[in-house]
Amino acid sequence: MRYGFAIDTKRCIGCHTCSVACRIENNLPNGTWWNRALTDGGAEMDTPVGEFPDVTMSYLTVACQHCENPACVKVCPVGATYKDPETGVVRQDYDKCIGCRMCMAACPYTGVRSFNWEEPAYTVGFEMGDADVAPHQQHTVEKCTMCWHRLAKGEEPMCVKTCLARARFWGDLDDPASEVATLVRERSAKQLLPEEGTNPSVYYLV
Amino acid sequence: MSDFSSGVVVDDDLDFSAVANRTAGREAVGSRAAAWGGKGLTVAIGVSAAVMVAGIVLWFLQLSGGMVQTGMRNLNSWGLYITSFMFFVGLSAGGLIISSVPKAFGIQGFGGISKVAVMSSIACTVAAIGMVVVDLGQPTRLWELFAYSNLGSPLMWDIVVLGTYLILSCVYLWAQVQADAGKVSHTALRVISVIALVCAVLVHSVTAWIFGLQQGREMWHTALLAPWFVSSALVCGTALVMVVAMALRKTGYLKLDQAYMVKLAKLLGAFVMVDLYFFGCDLLTEAFPAGSGLEVVTMLTTGPLAPYFWVEIIGCAVCAVICFTPALRTNALLTVGALLAIVGIFCKRVQLLVGGFQVASLDLPGALTSMHHTGWDAGLTSIYGSMVYWPTPLEFGVTLGVVALGVLVFLLGIKFLPLRPTDGE
Repeated sequence: MRYGFAIDTKRCIGCHTCSVACRIENNLPNGTWWNRALTDGGAEMDTPVGEFPDVTMSYLTVACQHCENPACVKVCPVGATYKDPETGVVRQDYDKCIGCRMCMAACPYTGVRSFNWEEPAYTVGFEMGDADVAPHQQHTVEKCTMCWHRLAKGEEPMCVKTCLARARFWGDLDDPASEVATLVRERSAKQLLPEEGTNPSVYYLV
Repeated sequence: MSDFSSGVVVDDDLDFSAVANRTAGREAVGSRAAAWGGKGLTVAIGVSAAVMVAGIVLWFLQLSGGMVQTGMRNLNSWGLYITSFMFFVGLSAGGLIISSVPKAFGIQGFGGISKVAVMSSIACTVAAIGMVVVDLGQPTRLWELFAYSNLGSPLMWDIVVLGTYLILSCVYLWAQVQADAGKVSHTALRVISVIALVCAVLVHSVTAWIFGLQQGREMWHTALLAPWFVSSALVCGTALVMVVAMALRKTGYLKLDQAYMVKLAKLLGAFVMVDLYFFGCDLLTEAFPAGSGLEVVTMLTTGPLAPYFWVEIIGCAVCAVICFTPALRTNALLTVGALLAIVGIFCKRVQLLVGGFQVASLDLPGALTSMHHTGWDAGLTSIYGSMVYWPTPLEFGVTLGVVALGVLVFLLGIKFLPLRPTDGE
């Protein structure tokens, strides 16, 4: 079994709903984004590249790529980040993390891992999201969990559930009959930074 | 050696006249140059202890108030601490190698500085370990390194090798002291020095692999990094031994013949050339395909890291000129040259660390917050281009505290251990 995503860049409208839903569901501290909508276009967010009227702009929503060959897992000195053998999800144990940030240096996917540089603070005065989410800790590294708490209940990750444009798909890439495997097989799909040899479980349909 | 007034090569570098200089109240020129056994040394020990305590207080502030008080953020997740860690691991090399190579290969050494050199190695290793500890977010979980060791992690290798290196340096120092007293045979000492030498090469290679084995960072991912770390370590390590030997000679702690200093200087010059050669190889290999590696070279030569790059190149070149030109090998200039080499290698560490984070593999614009980098509100256009890490005062304070710990260890060694040259050397 290898859980993964297929993200249709032709359907994605760059609305950041997946990012916000992720923040709420996982009760993310201020300033922390596990999933970000990056603009593939101009130099700034939400700007196109080219000269009007020949302009192009698309979005890549980037979170942990849950690599099949994760660079972060190899370098963690205490095994606080590890790949779940059953599902292929790359997980992070906050209680074990010593905060050395070796994984952040190793991960080729800029910005998907975040460190709680301060005692987690929240915009609203109370905790949000699912009660089963592990509490955030100061000075530990965290990242997308693929909504592990939801997977445990047989539910899909929150970013997939809330995607307005129905651009996000989640499932077992090893199961040929699954929606994600079918999409990856039948559409033109690419992985981010394939040259790094990490073999991400996130496919972008182009 | 004829161009030196004091250039008489003697096998026995010991000179008991140094004992006559053992007068109290010798003037201390900086803590390192403190007079031994005198008031100056005691004051220097007190000062370094006080700075260390101040550093510990700042470290507690960092842990309680959060590392948000540092200049590090998600996109540049390591900073001055890891830079200094690399630097001190490098510094620790020289002493041990200067001391162990002659013994291991049975060739003539560098006079009576062997034990002092190893003491400086021990002090630098302690400082290097201290730098890693202050960089950790959860130092109370350090025990996990031993309970849940992931032996596949280069960081774990480094912890194992660095620990071994520290213990071995202490054993080596102890063996030398015992050998002086005739309690350890020279064969045993030679065996220990061979092991220490292998370990010294290993400790630098492993430190390089923390960076060099990471495919995600263009600047780090090269097989050259390990040998290059060894050469840089030899440069700043030898330079440190020279500076320490100069200072200790000045204070009368030991008497070192100028011929040995010249030998050290020639060695330093050779190491500097090797290091610059490696740098040239690396720059050419990165820039030649004119691909993404060119971005790294541009960043170093004309980009945001240019000041560090040119200080290193010019400093090392000047050092080599001083070391290779007999007329320039005066004590003052040799000290300047050695200090330039040390500063140059520190600049190299800065380039390597900051540069590794500076070039993003996914440089697409997206939501950025104060947790991504400290200059996040400076404008989005050149957000990555402007991301040059600069430490906060707190980081400088904690770093200074760890340096003071190293200095303290060294000075305590000078004060309480029999490190001065003896008859046998």
